[in-house]
Amino acid sequence: MALPFTAYMKEIFRVQWLGTFLFAKTAPLVTPSYSRGFPELTGKTCTHALFCMMACPAPGAIHVIRTPDGWEPRINSGHCIRCGLCVEACPNGVLASGRILESMFYDSTRLSFSFRIDVDTSLCMGCGNCAVACPVNKLIDTQMAYGGRASTDELLLRVNEGKCTVLHAEKCTGCKTCEDHCPNGAIRVARLLEAVHIPEEEV
Amino acid sequence: MTLLQAVKNFVRSKSIHVCYVDVGSCNGCDIEVLACLSPRYDIEQYGIYVHNNPREADILLVIGAFTPGWEDKLRMIWEKIPDPKAAIAIGNCPISGCLFDRPHTLIDPPAAKHIPIAAQVPGCPPRPTEIISAVLSVAPLVFRDYEVAKR
Repeated sequence: MALPFTAYMKEIFRVQWLGTFLFAKTAPLVTPSYSRGFPELTGKTCTHALFCMMACPAPGAIHVIRTPDGWEPRINSGHCIRCGLCVEACPNGVLASGRILESMFYDSTRLSFSFRIDVDTSLCMGCGNCAVACPVNKLIDTQMAYGGRASTDELLLRVNEGKCTVLHAEKCTGCKTCEDHCPNGAIRVARLLEAVHIPEEEV
Repeated sequence: MTLLQAVKNFVRSKSIHVCYVDVGSCNGCDIEVLACLSPRYDIEQYGIYVHNNPREADILLVIGAFTPGWEDKLRMIWEKIPDPKAAIAIGNCPISGCLFDRPHTLIDPPAAKHIPIAAQVPGCPPRPTEIISAVLSVAPLVFRDYEVAKR
């Protein structure tokens, strides 16, 4: 016995079917929480180490600028490639992006910066511009005059016997101010960025 | 606003034809634009259709850091698109040149120097959701009351 025509119509135009047909929308336009987005501030205090700017591969993507409340990293969204290296390199956890900080905590990994200063003694003429320009030296010996001569041995750099000598390389902050002030290009600062794993028992 | 204009506004916001052009990118953003077509994001459910023909398009997605080969060709493609039209810069490259914006490279960013850009989607590459939401939010704004604004 054939069903009446209205039964077919009722079967086809079910309310649920019509709703699915007219208002079908699959995945909503939301970004998942684990997505590595543009780095955001966590509210911790920035100490102006500038490791974020040193680690950043994109030109002009991050700048640490001075605000009335202190230093603050700013991300330029048209330049940032969202690699998350600034988040990993920051020693204070000022920036956060996706799950980077959590995975760094669980894996006990971090990016560590170290700096190596190389002085080419055949080019160095002992003018002392590097030692005078160095901001670390300026903090240690505020009285340091031209020529790079100073009374204390606590300096990062000083001129000794007519050549620039590095006394405390561990004090270097990697700012490369000495490179900019060297007239001969004799001093070079290498920034070494390495991923290190710290096992829990050592922390 | 006349009824005809209201109908045009509604239809233009629900049927957006997109043409994308790669002016020298690394293909990362092209892959993200193609991922919009895939079942996971499925841009046709939002009423966006992809043609690689500027004469059929409403919106031009500009991808890439503008290499010298595109000097007059991007402008030609832009002029072929019938009014009303808009261009969206996809990714960092047409905004700033991104990683390629270094000394001794031949690129000439931003793309806004060459054609008028209505919106920019930052990211390297941007997520497909960001591309879709940019197209969906820009198109109704640009195409709204086009005939009234032209008069």
